[in-house]
Amino acid sequence: MNVRSRRYALAGAATLATLGVIAVLAPWLAPYDPGERVGPPFARPTPTHPLGTNDVGQDLLSELIVGTQVSLLVGTVAAVAATVLGTLVGVLAGYARGWVDTVLMRAVDVVLALPVLPLTIVIGVFFGPGLLTQISVIASVIWAGVARELRAQVLSLREREHVQALRVMGAGGVYVLSRHVLPAVAPLVVPQFVLATKTAILLEASLAFLGLGDVTAKSWGTMLSIGYARSAFLTDAWLWWIIPPGLAVALTVMAFAVFGYALEERSRPALRDASRPWPRPRQSPRPDRAAPAAPALLVEDLAVHYRSDRGAVTALDGVSLSVAAGELVGLIGESGSGKSTLAAAALGLLPPAATVTEGRILVTGRDLATLSAPELRSTRGGRVGLIPQEAMSALNPVRTVGSQLAEAVRAHRTLDQEQTRARVEELLALVGLDPDWAKAHPHQLSGGMRQRVVIALALAGDPAVVVADEPTSGLDVLTQAEVLAVLVRLSRELNLALLVVSHDLPMIERIADRIAVLHAGRLVETGPAADLLAAPRHPHTRSLVEAAPRLRVRVPGGPR
Amino acid sequence: MTAPVLAVEGLTVSFRGRAGPVRAVTDVDLTVRAGETVGLVGGSGAGKSTVARAVAGLVRPERGAIRVDGVDLAGLGRSATRRLRRQLHLVFQDPYAALPPTRRVADVVAEPLAIHRIGDRAERQRRVADALAAVRLDASRYLSSFPHQLSGGERQRVAFARALVTRPRLILADEPAQMLDASLRVAFIDLISELARDRGVAVVHITHDLALTERPCDRLVVMQAGHVVEQGPTAELLDRPRHPYTAALVAAASGAPIPRGAQ
Repeated sequence: MNVRSRRYALAGAATLATLGVIAVLAPWLAPYDPGERVGPPFARPTPTHPLGTNDVGQDLLSELIVGTQVSLLVGTVAAVAATVLGTLVGVLAGYARGWVDTVLMRAVDVVLALPVLPLTIVIGVFFGPGLLTQISVIASVIWAGVARELRAQVLSLREREHVQALRVMGAGGVYVLSRHVLPAVAPLVVPQFVLATKTAILLEASLAFLGLGDVTAKSWGTMLSIGYARSAFLTDAWLWWIIPPGLAVALTVMAFAVFGYALEERSRPALRDASRPWPRPRQSPRPDRAAPAAPALLVEDLAVHYRSDRGAVTALDGVSLSVAAGELVGLIGESGSGKSTLAAAALGLLPPAATVTEGRILVTGRDLATLSAPELRSTRGGRVGLIPQEAMSALNPVRTVGSQLAEAVRAHRTLDQEQTRARVEELLALVGLDPDWAKAHPHQLSGGMRQRVVIALALAGDPAVVVADEPTSGLDVLTQAEVLAVLVRLSRELNLALLVVSHDLPMIERIADRIAVLHAGRLVETGPAADLLAAPRHPHTRSLVEAAPRLRVRVPGGPR
Repeated sequence: MTAPVLAVEGLTVSFRGRAGPVRAVTDVDLTVRAGETVGLVGGSGAGKSTVARAVAGLVRPERGAIRVDGVDLAGLGRSATRRLRRQLHLVFQDPYAALPPTRRVADVVAEPLAIHRIGDRAERQRRVADALAAVRLDASRYLSSFPHQLSGGERQRVAFARALVTRPRLILADEPAQMLDASLRVAFIDLISELARDRGVAVVHITHDLALTERPCDRLVVMQAGHVVEQGPTAELLDRPRHPYTAALVAAASGAPIPRGAQ
């Protein structure tokens, strides 16, 4: 949560706390009994009656204070009922699926489709005025939203492997729901409840204003209703009769809304930090001195730190690495070694929490730190391309392969339709795919073909440098071999500087000219692939070489 | 020879597709004996995970029998199925997704005991400690950790300890090392097969990478497009693959360099 939304949330919480205290202590705070005639009717504000009196001479300030109690009570009780019902329906529909889901969700659809206010009026008139009517009417129209929200959460939770694992262990539905599903959705129920209360209070005011409130227990809405009916607008009585309860409703609804959205934001980390600005990389102290024969990708003495709760964490420290045109360098590192940070840095795509504290990255001789944001954008894709690790999530599932490639092509060059199509076909041919696949959607392709499309996307801007982050993860060994062959061929045919980042030494050793070994943020060894494998110098490299899963070399069909 | 712990006969599974049902698995036979580790291998889409999910009861077979310790899963009522579930466990591929994120290791590993209401507090604690020791995790260090505080390898060991805690007869491991760093994979698979041998557990190890089967697996069953195309003792099958698909898998796993300029 950023500072501003936290400040809003605090203000909302403080307002709600104050209102809560007023509601609870209302009988003692109110100077008069709001049911008693304590002055002349239609009195203007005086020191004894700061908001004047109503048409029968009851104290309006006392009515306002006691009205807080009624409004909050109706709102809260209705919201509790709606949240409980909505949670039950949502969780049940999401977990049971099948016909239960169909029946429940059609009911939800019906409720959501009906216009709320006319519906509440019809039901309210049918059952007659009163607090209970108000509560049940309000609850019956707002539970559906809660149900739909929670069902979506439960549906996705249900397919998570740790919930499936429980079913494999033989856990029944009651066990899974009570021990795992409900606790997991509970943090979402709280904001849903707060937001439901907001809606309930607003609806209560509307219903009461239309005369469906209880005249013996006046809420703010009832005050408004009576004030309006007793011609408060004909004199300036509206100033003290209509404005205060109106403001009270507005303030309460706003406080609930602000507090509720803040809670919702906190329970869904994905909504957080979306607005955080992209920090500019620190300017390199050294001047840009690009030599003409510089390698396509040059990382010099790079250090990257991450901000974290426990202070700065070093991800990379003094890393120097170069990849020449036409060269295929494999960067080997285990999880946590900093290899993904290095890949991101080479693309100028470090996450916001990371800072380059030392060193520089030159792509075709240009220092990434000295580039402006638009220059950096055109460098990405245009000079350096990325082959990301999850092909399926890197592609847009609802658009054809061709349109995604065309978009990538046009991002860097202005081409007409015909030229774009020719370039898309050229790209598909480069990765060994028939041009007809341009019309296909990603889900119609096999894993290996999707990975080829992702490679074609990386090549769309004709980059000199390509970084491949675990390009074969999630592919089976046969498909891996195909994709690796494509990468090797491209690095030669297009004279690409190709940096392949992986934890998989047996994969890297099949394709790399040189191998660099990253361990705990430092480059421990770099060398030609064959030398490094035959005679690893660093103990970490040695343990990687020894632990790598390999079949003993076999002669097909021969004896052991 | 002892009776097999797992006997699958003529297993056929179909999924609903847009254009009618799609066969994922056709007429698969598979037997695994106590203490034996069988590698179920094949490329993606071969149907190997579907076999495991059918045995674990996550998908319903169209035809065929699945017997665990001689008892056919199909003919059982609800509570008998639940009791039988105690005898088998499925270890998932992704150790990040397979553990509930809000539970401590002690509760994660004890969960199967809670589900089946096995043992009192002391008994459960003893079993959890025993299971963690079996996967070489120091109980005193890990019991109160949350999954997100552990490395991928540690998490997968916790998942495996959870599989061991009810002392099952059969463990299905679906690409259990796929998400681990390459250098940790061999050690993890070796640990599984070693425990299988020591404790007389039958293990089905599902993988696409034959390099992970050579040492731990006693036998291999090769699947392609839903069918078993070849099976036999590991060494024999790796040395003399008869089916071209097996030969291709062996070639891919042997790590031959990919020549420059070749397609």
